[in-house]
Amino acid sequence: MISRRALEFVTAALTGTFGAAVIVSSIDNGIGWSTAGVDAGTFPFLTGVIILIGSLWNLARGWPQSRDVVVSPSDLRRLTALFVPAVVFVAAIPLIGVYLASGCYMLGTLVLLHRFSLPRSLLIAAATPLALYLVFERMFQVSLPHGALGDVIGF
Amino acid sequence: MDNIESLLHGFTIAVTLPHIGLMLIGVLLGILVGVLPGLGAPNGVSLLLPLTFGMQPVSAIILLSSMYWGALFGGSVTSILFNIPGEPSSVATTFDGYPMARDGRATTALATAFGSAAFGALVGVVLITFLASWVAQVALAFGPPEYFAVYFLAFASFVGMGGAPPIKTVVSLAAGFAIAAIGIDTVSGSVRLTMGIDELVKGVSFVVAVMGLFGIGELLLAVEEEFHAKAVSSKIEWREVFRTLVGLPRYGWALLRSAAIGCWMGITPGGPTAASFMSYGIAKRFSARKASFGRGEAEGIIAPETADHAAGTSALLPMLSLGIPGSATAAVMMGGLMIWGLNPGPMLFIEQKDFVWGLIASMYVGNIVAVVLVLLTVPIFAALMRIPFFITAPLIFIICTVGAYAVSNSYLDVLLMLGFGIVGYLFKKLSYPLAPLVLAIVIGDKAEDAFRQAMLMSKGSLAIFFSNALVATLVVAGIALLLLPLVLQVMHVRTIKPVLD
Repeated sequence: MISRRALEFVTAALTGTFGAAVIVSSIDNGIGWSTAGVDAGTFPFLTGVIILIGSLWNLARGWPQSRDVVVSPSDLRRLTALFVPAVVFVAAIPLIGVYLASGCYMLGTLVLLHRFSLPRSLLIAAATPLALYLVFERMFQVSLPHGALGDVIGF
Repeated sequence: MDNIESLLHGFTIAVTLPHIGLMLIGVLLGILVGVLPGLGAPNGVSLLLPLTFGMQPVSAIILLSSMYWGALFGGSVTSILFNIPGEPSSVATTFDGYPMARDGRATTALATAFGSAAFGALVGVVLITFLASWVAQVALAFGPPEYFAVYFLAFASFVGMGGAPPIKTVVSLAAGFAIAAIGIDTVSGSVRLTMGIDELVKGVSFVVAVMGLFGIGELLLAVEEEFHAKAVSSKIEWREVFRTLVGLPRYGWALLRSAAIGCWMGITPGGPTAASFMSYGIAKRFSARKASFGRGEAEGIIAPETADHAAGTSALLPMLSLGIPGSATAAVMMGGLMIWGLNPGPMLFIEQKDFVWGLIASMYVGNIVAVVLVLLTVPIFAALMRIPFFITAPLIFIICTVGAYAVSNSYLDVLLMLGFGIVGYLFKKLSYPLAPLVLAIVIGDKAEDAFRQAMLMSKGSLAIFFSNALVATLVVAGIALLLLPLVLQVMHVRTIKPVLD
């Protein structure tokens, strides 16, 4: 269960941290005016300052806001049900490649999470990497990652 | 009259068999991404972008812009039949479109929407035909200070008129500029904001940002809302379509007003979403049948649809003639232009006549193709919506992942996309606007260059932004727009206070 206040807080903290990082990093590049014109860090520095001030403002405005629940427990469950397998899928790409990973990802979500019928799930799980292969590798000559496993088996 | 001649020449480029074929493909793909929640015009166009690198620029832009038209139409289909807006800009269409369809008048609702959408698009294209080359001519005289002032005005109008909380818009914009600055600085050659990650030297591609912000972000929102597609009948009765279209001129005033709002919001980058809401609000306020709004009032469909398409189309005007895109999708297309080696802006009208007029001519034809195709395919796409979302959601995720990877064969881009996805979800949830963020990523470098060149001209004095009437007017207008939300708030407090006392 997540309140609007918490979400506002997290977002403002996120943008604020980004702003601060931008400020610090652009000071290294040099800010201000030199013989070569405006220094490389000046423009990012200004944007960083604007982000930081804006985030502080949003933080101050977000805090007194209602504690309404904007993400209910069941919302959160559905969100994680999509996001966690997706992250696992992305993490698996360098190991087993996009093709195998996408097949497993489809099969896993359909069968384990949603109790979809096994034969149909298998069909979809097989069709997905095949379609990717045909469209990207064959039609448009874009090579997708084959992963460490691909190196081992020579694909 | 030069314009008419150029346009006719444009038609000879646009109306060829391969280009009509590209339009058909583009529109169909567009309707598809428009219909599917989680995939929209900006990331649809981004997905297609890497596949256009081998094409002629004019063919590529015809494909991409047709996809844009298709997506705009597709978004309305789901709004009306399922009460699920496929695109953010078609949210306002659900207010009256779905009630009308539920009452058994689905065909009337769809035909009203498509008819007024086509009208809005037509007004937008006519505007581009007659105004774009003129604007470009004026812009030829622009120097760096004027350019920076125009960028400033464009960004200020997001803050003043975008409809989102102003400070959130400012944060979104500034974050976009900072992201644009990541990588090698083109002026000094120094490496900026890579935070110790060497691979970031190449910068962050706007395609990756769009894929995450719009694709993953929207997917997370759609899952959270867990909609059930309860469709009304999607059968099209052609006689009813004809009768509705013939009856549309009765709403002439509403059509013209909505088109005007749309064009205005498209050119000053307020975007189609803000345009459709604004147009709906104004139509409701001034309508004689105010009470029937929200229950299937035809004017409640006409107003947002006309404005949506007028804005979507006219967003290409500043993109072509000034190099400033008027919407997120236009920003993606402009990114494409730069990748194909074209330089968006006034020189385009001199150096790339075939490209510009081919595109403008294709907009006339593309919109007709889109209306016909969308009417023919409504039942097919409606059936697609009945596929359970737990099947389409991971598929969309895979497509976005592969799309982000394909930009430059980089795994880091996939990780960045995930990060942008979380940001997109948070931003959408808390009404931070996303379009300014994308725009700033695409044109941030140009805006910065203009600023630095202007500073070089003036040896570091800001007075150069008030050095002549044109640049001063632009800057003052920009500042006024920035202050607009503040003024409105003060006035609001003043009018409410006496009531409270």
